[in-house]
Amino acid sequence: MAAAVLDRFSPQALRVLALFVVLVLIVLFFGSQIDNYYSARLFNRVSTSVAIMAILATGQALVVLTRNIDLSVGSIVGFTAFAVGDVLSTYPGLHPLLAVALAVAIGAGFGAFNGVLVAYARIPAIIVTLGTLALFRSLLVEYSDAKSIITANLPEWILQLPRANIVSFGDLDIRITFFAAVIVVITVHLALTWLRTGRKFYAVGSNPEAAVMAGINSTRIVFLAFVLCGAFAGLAGFFFLARFGNITVVAGLGFELKSVAAVVVGGINIFGGSGTVLGALLGAILVDLIDTSLVRWPLVSEFWREAVLGFLILGAVAIDAVLMRRLLALRHARMKDRRDKSVAQDGATA
Amino acid sequence: MSKIITSAIAALMAAGLAAPAAAESVMAEKGQSVDLTLLPKFLGILVFDQANEGAQEAHAELENPGELLFVGPTPENSVAGQIEIMTTSTTQGKDVVMLSNNAGDQIVPSATAAQAAGTKVVTWDSPIPSGDGESVFVAQVDFGSIGVVMADMAHSLLGGSGQMAVLSATPDAANQNAWIAAMEDALKGSKYADIELVDIVYGDDQSEVSYNRALALVDQYPDLGVIMAPTTVGIQAAAKAMQDEGLCDQVAVSGLGLPSEMVSYTLNGCAPEFALWDFRDLGYLTYYTSYLLATGAIKGEIGETFDAGRMGEYTIEKDPTRDSGLRVLMGPFTVYNKDNVEAAAN
Repeated sequence: MAAAVLDRFSPQALRVLALFVVLVLIVLFFGSQIDNYYSARLFNRVSTSVAIMAILATGQALVVLTRNIDLSVGSIVGFTAFAVGDVLSTYPGLHPLLAVALAVAIGAGFGAFNGVLVAYARIPAIIVTLGTLALFRSLLVEYSDAKSIITANLPEWILQLPRANIVSFGDLDIRITFFAAVIVVITVHLALTWLRTGRKFYAVGSNPEAAVMAGINSTRIVFLAFVLCGAFAGLAGFFFLARFGNITVVAGLGFELKSVAAVVVGGINIFGGSGTVLGALLGAILVDLIDTSLVRWPLVSEFWREAVLGFLILGAVAIDAVLMRRLLALRHARMKDRRDKSVAQDGATA
Repeated sequence: MSKIITSAIAALMAAGLAAPAAAESVMAEKGQSVDLTLLPKFLGILVFDQANEGAQEAHAELENPGELLFVGPTPENSVAGQIEIMTTSTTQGKDVVMLSNNAGDQIVPSATAAQAAGTKVVTWDSPIPSGDGESVFVAQVDFGSIGVVMADMAHSLLGGSGQMAVLSATPDAANQNAWIAAMEDALKGSKYADIELVDIVYGDDQSEVSYNRALALVDQYPDLGVIMAPTTVGIQAAAKAMQDEGLCDQVAVSGLGLPSEMVSYTLNGCAPEFALWDFRDLGYLTYYTSYLLATGAIKGEIGETFDAGRMGEYTIEKDPTRDSGLRVLMGPFTVYNKDNVEAAAN
């Protein structure tokens, strides 16, 4: 049975599987620690909150796949949430789809700025986005004029959005925001797997020189990755606005690190070229689940929570790595076995 | 313990009454050149901008030919940024830095260096906890009485008995920590015997963190009746979280909030009652105190009385809420509910 699983799935799928096991282990662990842990409420909490991070992690994954990083996503989320909130406060009649389009466009604009500097000016991504992290945040401070966006001025539909369900099973809700996030992740996953352009992200990340030799315009791919990452950060900003309603200049602070954490925990190689956005989704769920559970775990004080979160992330990555290596080793052994057998058979017939 | 506070307040009031008789109230002499820096916790929060408006008003009124700068760190860099701006202002030879301290005692070395170089440090909104390096603290309201007001709001929202939790700003915020301590003292009184403070959590003055902490509180304590958030960011986020999860009829949100930001939650019952003072007045009074100190009209000693323009007379006293340090007490503050919030919001 286990052997069949090993044969059938690719290393990428095995990685997702290993992550899933870690996820279950963490749920079991907290289940033994926290009263009433296994409840519909917990599912609702994590699923609504992960919707934002899942979209952000998807964008981050695209950039990391090309051997880059985007540290400005938190500032993009904050700026977009504020700007769209500002527009909606002034023009409450704006069509919801236009509001979403505006968010995506603002984010894509910021992403393009990063992309030009990284892809065309050839400045290392970590330096560019570290700069724009501060730059976009300062733009927000300037733009906000010390005002904040408050729910009282927002149209009713956006306030209802985070509570709106697609379908409920008893107390367990599948909310629109979570559903939308999952659709985004699956769409991007399919695009990366099946589209020619999608495969180029992997090619550029795993070996840039070889990609260029193969005739791939890696500059354009890297640029595209940053634009898409910005666009997804903009979309996340829209969901951020819908969920929190009260937007100040600190909105989205620190999201860049959480998104990188989700991506790395999700098994995407930080040096580019391998990993899946499904993994990034699981990574986002894992980080959010740990975060959500820790604040409900009385044993850990406020001051230690960040440290414990760090340890658990390291632990999750370590377990994942060990599991992965075991599974891959088993798989190799089986394949080698079979090759030897077939060689032996060939020898016999000759 | 509440007796101690009451007697402390009584003693203060007595001191406040006695002082003017003892000393002549100092008036500000207009037109002297004083360079000042107004340094908030960070930029982009409405209340700090309001404080700046108040300071600008006083700046114009006193016809100061010097410069009043409003500079602050960006939000993600608050602590390090405040220390940096403090040091820069000293190098620039500013006469006064008016600081809403977000760096706890980490600000002390740079504040002490500023004082040594002749730059006064006047704190407002949030003091330096140890009082070191600080000339005087302009307190918005008596920290002890904030504790009593928060305890009273919890008392009325819980109908006298039940569980409450605190959702604060950052663990380092000196003002919030002092108010919470004052509230804990107040809760020891017999009137509040049936109110249980179950937890204190920190939302870092970020909407998303505060929102999630508020939800965690209601999950962890199923019988929770009140979330008390002594921060304008936290109170809004908690109210939104309760509204989103349909919990407003079980858990009431209260604390310190801005009427314009809270009006919808007060009217829909998610945050029936909250309190605040006027940040414009706070900026105005801080400016007057700083101007008088910098021009040498007052020395920053206990018992000195001065005239702060439209706001009237104030006296420097020992800060009873800290082990050392001086304070000028502004007060009072307003409790908002559905009857007066709409008028205040506009």
